[in-house]
Amino acid sequence: MKMKLLRSKNWKVFFISLAMVWLQTGLVFAQQIRAVATWPALADITRQIGKELVNVESLASGVEDAHGVPVKPSFVPRLNRADVLILIGLNDEHSWLPALLEVANNSKILPGRPGYIDCSLGISVLEVPIRMDRAEGDLHPNGNPHYLLDPVRAKIVAQNIANGLTRNFPQHQQAFDKNLKAYVAELDNWIVRWEKAAAPLRGVKFVEYHPEWIYLADRFGMKLVGSVELKPGIEPTPNHIVELVQQIKQEKAQLLIYGAQNPRLPQQIASETGIKVVRLYSGGGSQSETDTYIKWIDYTVRTLLQSVS
Amino acid sequence: MDLCQTRLQTTSALFVLCLVILFPRVGLSQEDATQALRKQLGEIQNQLKNALDRIDQLEKEKSSSSTRLGQVEKSVQAVQSAPSILNPAIGLVLDASFDHLGKAGSTFNFRTAELGLAASIDPYARMYSFITGSNNGVEVEEAAAITTSLPWNLTAKGGRFFADFGRFPKYHPHELPFVNQPLSIQRMVGGESQADGAEVNYLFPTPFFLRATFGGYNKIGADNEQVDNLTPRSGSRFTYLGRLNTYFDLTDNQSIELGTSLAYTPSVRLQGDASGGDRILGGVDLTYRYQPLASTVYQGFTWGSEFYNNSQRFPFDIEVPNEDDPSILETQTVGKRRRSYGGYSYAELKLNKNWATGFLFDYAPIVDNPSQRTLSYSPYVTWYLSEFNRLRFQYSYLKNNFSADKAEKGNQFFVQWTTVIGAHTHGFLTR
Repeated sequence: MKMKLLRSKNWKVFFISLAMVWLQTGLVFAQQIRAVATWPALADITRQIGKELVNVESLASGVEDAHGVPVKPSFVPRLNRADVLILIGLNDEHSWLPALLEVANNSKILPGRPGYIDCSLGISVLEVPIRMDRAEGDLHPNGNPHYLLDPVRAKIVAQNIANGLTRNFPQHQQAFDKNLKAYVAELDNWIVRWEKAAAPLRGVKFVEYHPEWIYLADRFGMKLVGSVELKPGIEPTPNHIVELVQQIKQEKAQLLIYGAQNPRLPQQIASETGIKVVRLYSGGGSQSETDTYIKWIDYTVRTLLQSVS
Repeated sequence: MDLCQTRLQTTSALFVLCLVILFPRVGLSQEDATQALRKQLGEIQNQLKNALDRIDQLEKEKSSSSTRLGQVEKSVQAVQSAPSILNPAIGLVLDASFDHLGKAGSTFNFRTAELGLAASIDPYARMYSFITGSNNGVEVEEAAAITTSLPWNLTAKGGRFFADFGRFPKYHPHELPFVNQPLSIQRMVGGESQADGAEVNYLFPTPFFLRATFGGYNKIGADNEQVDNLTPRSGSRFTYLGRLNTYFDLTDNQSIELGTSLAYTPSVRLQGDASGGDRILGGVDLTYRYQPLASTVYQGFTWGSEFYNNSQRFPFDIEVPNEDDPSILETQTVGKRRRSYGGYSYAELKLNKNWATGFLFDYAPIVDNPSQRTLSYSPYVTWYLSEFNRLRFQYSYLKNNFSADKAEKGNQFFVQWTTVIGAHTHGFLTR
């Protein structure tokens, strides 16, 4: 009898605890807009637009390969609770985000729904493939998605985020507009500063590991000479490396930029050509010096300047 | 706007300058006025420079944008005008191998060509299908509809699909980290967990990942021949599934995933065992992953194990004395419950984006005679030429404690080539 009573009590305690966990998870975030961004830089811009109205989390940490973010089930509860999802778009997250959305059970943030904020809208996209064929590598059909590296394009991103937040929470439009204006003004000041500071980068020839740096190069006048990858997403063959080494020597390329990739090949190429190797991440947020969008671009520009000085 | 303001300020400054030149002794002292003017002029110069920089920048953007927008527009128009615009995403996987099966000999093995189709049905559901062609003919491996907008964190699925039992039983063989599906899955689950039926998933609103699955099916197991898919049956002859799956990040780079599954069939009647009985197939799966985000995500280590147990009645022939003449022995078929335990464990090291190596250990009992079992040891190496093109080399040593078929014992060697064209994904379950 006692055992039975104990058992029934245990069950009661179990169910009450479960209900409390359930309620708590709902209440903790009830007061703020729950936003999930795919990358830390997007999370920061969202924070600047939403300020105290928004609680924003980033899924990726910023050090991952843009196309190799692990499909962690721990991302699922975050997506499940989200009011809005902010993403790069242009198929940047195609290898991991759709699988997570599949089980997140949140129709608000599915593609085409109001909570799905695609920041690529209105961006003038570079490297739109003319020929769609996997013989050309792992292509992005709508163009290169690494546009966040251009601070001028980031203003459009901020506008898209403000539009998306307003679409979902029109009652806060005034606050979003005010914050957007202030953030764009701040970005404008930084852009003038970066353009002045980055004058020595103009005309600098560089090699990239993966096609990630074209927007930055376009903004600051750097000249792309070649890629370590044979084609986007395809690791190089020995012949390709031999050709690249010759090309670097002929063109007198000064920099080789790589990010989440293995440093072995960049170092090998550097030892053969003397080219300076710089590791920079194209997602932001990978370290304390890059935990906001502005700090990330500033760090990137400063690092490049130090490398060519 | 900035430009207009700057112009106005410039004009005012010039006007003040003229006044000062013309009326040098009016108002402020000459020295103060000069200093104030210098300061103002300096500011105006700065503002003018900024404005001119900005104009240059905007003009540059405008010209480059218009050229690129033209290209994008053409590309979009081309896509929109394609007659296949509303067709589903299509992909084809070719999985072929060269198998050396010890004393049985060698063969080129056309394992499968798998055609995948997937698209949204409407705002409420999506559908996917995998149709495979192999030496055994053409089969619809999966064709299922899944809801996308159910409330209360629920998802429902119906049709033919791989039931949410265990981890690797719901993988298509070409997606496994090794060449062959472990024998323990083949013998205990009946191959892939293919099932005709319906399934409901519930995602718990907890801060960590916790997901439950409930399902009802005709049977589970693509090669499970104990039950057929066509005969109508009573409620007790269906198979019911329950699964709980959770996941924890131990650190940014390390994670652990745990699942437990139970497939229960209240009544299975095999030929020769008229009374029948229930079948309980249980499984526990555990996966540890080390994925160092801070270096390269293409390096890492995975350890995965699954354990199964199967309990059910099987018919056996026994010899009993004849009722009239006990000296004569007669063969009689009776049902007897058998419990079997099996599973596999593997460890894989991803060296870089192109290379991975691992080792698989498998313990596979024969379910109707659990004392007979096969142990197998399989080291393998995978070479990813790209994301869509893969070569795998595997050596296997199979050790049986019974007289097995030549093709299922001894030393075996496999070279597998798997390639993909078009869109291809098996989604979250096979991540």
